Amino acid sequence: MTRLIANAAAALAPTCDVTTGCITCGDVAIPLTVLRLDEGRGLALCADDDGSSETVEIDLVAPVAPGDRLLVHAGTAIARLTEEAPQ
Amino acid sequence: MKHVDEFRDPALGQVLAGEILGLVEPGRHYKLMEVCGGHTHSIYKYGIDDLLPANVELVHGPGCPVCVIPMGRVDDGIALAHEPDVIFTCFGDMLRVPGSDGTLLDAKAEGADIRMVYSPLDALRIAKANPDRPVVFFAIGFETTAPSTALTLKRAKAEGVKNFFCMCNHVTIVPPLRALLDSPDLRLDGFIGPGHVSTVVGVRPFEFIPTEYGKPISVAGFEPLDVLHAIHMILTQLKEGRCEVENQYARVVPYDGNPRALEVMSEVFELRPHFEWRGMGFISQSGLKLSEAYADMDAEIQYSVPGIRVADPKACQCGEVLKGVIKPWECKVFGSGCTPERPIGTCMVSSEGACAAYYNYGRFAREREVV
Repeated sequence: MTRLIANAAAALAPTCDVTTGCITCGDVAIPLTVLRLDEGRGLALCADDDGSSETVEIDLVAPVAPGDRLLVHAGTAIARLTEEAPQ
Repeated sequence: MKHVDEFRDPALGQVLAGEILGLVEPGRHYKLMEVCGGHTHSIYKYGIDDLLPANVELVHGPGCPVCVIPMGRVDDGIALAHEPDVIFTCFGDMLRVPGSDGTLLDAKAEGADIRMVYSPLDALRIAKANPDRPVVFFAIGFETTAPSTALTLKRAKAEGVKNFFCMCNHVTIVPPLRALLDSPDLRLDGFIGPGHVSTVVGVRPFEFIPTEYGKPISVAGFEPLDVLHAIHMILTQLKEGRCEVENQYARVVPYDGNPRALEVMSEVFELRPHFEWRGMGFISQSGLKLSEAYADMDAEIQYSVPGIRVADPKACQCGEVLKGVIKPWECKVFGSGCTPERPIGTCMVSSEGACAAYYNYGRFAREREVV
């Protein structure tokens, strides 16, 4: 019975979207744009290209300013992005 | 145009594929390992292998952090989740990884308070919202993720949060690569290096691959043109008889990585003498634990965990898949006993796992035809 419940829970549990990859635990990071800063707490509100926003740790790339593009993994910005087209 | 669109241009991809065809010597077999699960995912999502000559073979490396977690660590996590009053937090993929007697989702169904989080910061928020209950974060991941855990632990300490604990399963990328290169059953010609790990550690740690083992490596991004370009760079090195670390992903990866991230990691973590990897056994200095200064937040110190080594299921060949010795579809239980809905092995759990990548993109059994 327990396993049946667990299987039902597994079916309902959010799983990684295989079209975009696992954003949480793998080596996958997403580009986000800084919307505004909470400098006192070292956090920034950032949004992706579709407008979804999240709070991001910016300690590793500070200082940042609104409009900056960051590479974010597991809620932490790990690098700054510069736009560059393939050669 | 989004930032990534230009790195998915089919016309440029065809140009690169044509040039790659001109780089390979007829009759020579090239075996290249993509270290990172993110690359495995890109290769099958975009059909990159279909653009390559048949004598260029891509094999999958140990770079999916969910896939390399041994069953004993899952059991330890489940034991922690059953501790009185504990709120156990982890990333979504971990919920479905089988331990020796069920998954974290099974434990949740049995009453344990297990919550999925998207970041360590989310776990800390839960701790601050529940000051009367201990909150354990099950930390996994390579150097890409470890700084995020480290920053969160620093933040918890600075804010005086006393009920936040971490079960640390972070691993480092260089020791398993060295173990693979020392393995007698695997002959590789080059490596597609992990792009996002390298944003943290830089390119320098991979210099041992050409200098000590004589293999080329190109650190690569995750868009289809990034991966094709990296393959092009490795094959060019082989054709010209060169052997270097190259940085295909220079638009994101600095040569020295992110010094601040490395500083934070060295403050919060220290190397374990040994850490067990699924299918690869114990690898020296390949795992991280919390440093002495953070011992009061170390769940393995504050709680007793079973710590028992559990052998991988006999039917599961994740070890051979993780070492690139067999293809996922060559595993005895691939697609039959082991599917993403009911995984036996970890490689089928995470979308970055090689087996899940094959399964989800319909690569059930295949060999490319020789052109």
